[in-house]
Amino acid sequence: MLRHLFTLMWNRKRANGLLILEVFMAFVVLFAVGSTGVYLWRNYQAPLGFAYENVWQINLNSGSQPRAEQVATLQRVLAKLRTTPGVEVVSRTEDTTPFSYNGNSGNITTGTGDTQRRTEEADFYSGGPELREVMGVRLVAGRWFDRRDETPTRRPPVVITEATQAELFPDGQSALGKVIHYGFHENQERVVVGISGPYRAGGELSEPRSALFGYISPQDTTTALNTLLVRVQPGTGAALAKRLSDDIRLTSGGRWSSDITTLREQRLSKLKVLLTLPAVLGVVCVFLLVNVALGLFGVLWLNINQRRAELGVRRAMGATGAAISGQVLGEILTLTTFGLVLGLLVAAQFPLLGVFNIKAGVYLTAMLLATLGLYALAAGCAFYPSRLAAGIQPAVALREE
Amino acid sequence: MTDDFNALFMQSTSTTSPVIRLANIEKVYQTRTIETVALSQVNLTINRGEFVSVMGPSGCGKSTLLSLMGLLDEPSSGTIEIDGRPVTSYSDKELAGLRNHKIGFVFQSYHLINDLSVLDNVEMPLLYRPSIGSSERRRRAIEALDKVGLTARTKHFPAQLSGGQRQRVAIARALAGEPEIILADEPTGNLDSVMGEEIMELLLGLNREQGTTLVMVTHDEQQALKTQRLIRFFDGRQVA
Repeated sequence: MLRHLFTLMWNRKRANGLLILEVFMAFVVLFAVGSTGVYLWRNYQAPLGFAYENVWQINLNSGSQPRAEQVATLQRVLAKLRTTPGVEVVSRTEDTTPFSYNGNSGNITTGTGDTQRRTEEADFYSGGPELREVMGVRLVAGRWFDRRDETPTRRPPVVITEATQAELFPDGQSALGKVIHYGFHENQERVVVGISGPYRAGGELSEPRSALFGYISPQDTTTALNTLLVRVQPGTGAALAKRLSDDIRLTSGGRWSSDITTLREQRLSKLKVLLTLPAVLGVVCVFLLVNVALGLFGVLWLNINQRRAELGVRRAMGATGAAISGQVLGEILTLTTFGLVLGLLVAAQFPLLGVFNIKAGVYLTAMLLATLGLYALAAGCAFYPSRLAAGIQPAVALREE
Repeated sequence: MTDDFNALFMQSTSTTSPVIRLANIEKVYQTRTIETVALSQVNLTINRGEFVSVMGPSGCGKSTLLSLMGLLDEPSSGTIEIDGRPVTSYSDKELAGLRNHKIGFVFQSYHLINDLSVLDNVEMPLLYRPSIGSSERRRRAIEALDKVGLTARTKHFPAQLSGGQRQRVAIARALAGEPEIILADEPTGNLDSVMGEEIMELLLGLNREQGTTLVMVTHDEQQALKTQRLIRFFDGRQVA
């Protein structure tokens, strides 16, 4: 019977060409939306690597104060904030804070010549000794930055994530004590002092990838002068924010202002922005699928009305109502298969060519989901017409002819 | 299904026993406003190996009679027996099994599927017998086409055949399932006299050589006279 269905549908491929094209187009859209969805879902499932609750970001605006004076003011502000009730710990950082739209990335390398190893695109962050405590970063091996690092050295310390270690040293050896280079400072040697868990400041929807923390010394007068991350005690709110803001203004002699936001707010804001495009895609996809469903349903309905005599003959030849119903369902699934094969041929190019550097598993999962989705859609659309076909009275259908 | 069917219907093969029996058959088509009596008080027995023709003016109920005999329709009242067993209470599955194994149909307008080759068309009744594999199906279909002299046309499509050839294919399709009964509804109605004669000879040969029971609706008196028994209908009643 399967061969019969394929023969019948193959011989009717011209008549059903538009339907096959429609299935193909629907598959392409489902595959695109599916790939996006699977990609985002996989990212969402991966650990974030830090605790954003009760962490505030303070952006400092030093106004027209000369840069030479800013460091001293910053030291006073930090000292004041650290003694403010409700504040647990404060860290300087650069503007690549969690859930911000700022990023610093590049490759991390180790070794030279033939033995050199290089990571894929990795994220670079910077922080002082307190950053780990503020963000709750998990340390796997070695140590975080501390007073030992305050003495300037030829090889400044860095902490890398486990993923970075795995990329640079795939044979399983520890990265501790190893020399690496990264980003713009390719000639600057850095020594790995610690291995941390994952850290994805881009948020839950960002792709998990290698990362590295550079060191900001308390004496550093060139970077990280404008951004602070503060862990506050749970339950503190607007009153503390106002007090911190006032303290900053007063400590700077009224020259500095500040903007305080919680990482929780920033996360929600970023999620909204990042989910807008997938949501629009999803709506378009649903709209398209409804159209495909209506098209399939209409074509099937028409098809059955045009083929009443054929279905009558099949009943006369010994087909049960269930067999007729099964045949109509089988036909639409066969047509769907034709469209799907075309779609799968196109979709298969994505993992084969590594398009967008997305893992093949994402595309393969999306292909599977799109295939199942289309089969379900086709079966759903064929259900009622197939019942209708099963109910055709053979004597009536043959007489009409 | 096949085992159930064999247990029920493949036992009685006596050559003189009634193969189809209609008792007090009435068929009324009812719409909201009109009630049309298609058949009334029909009592009819078709014996095994008979070739019976049914004649009558258009609208007298001939095709309805054939539909009832072929279990394509249900009577409004009365009993239909196949091989001495009343089938009125049979399920859809049981009726389909009977149609598939016992009865072959030939229609005036052939009712071939244009998108299938001659061979695929002839194989069709066998598709509904899961116990028959594809090679056996093919063998039987070619055998049936051989009987109607169309083995050279297996890969052709119906549109590539003449009317007579199409009707031969339809007969081969009816024969492929090796039915005991063939019900032919004006099988020569769309053919010219020469082709009509050819088809008639084919049907007569089937009856004579293979003992196939045939019931044929026709408007052609000459052809009807060649059969063993002629039944006439008028206004839904058997008049002769």
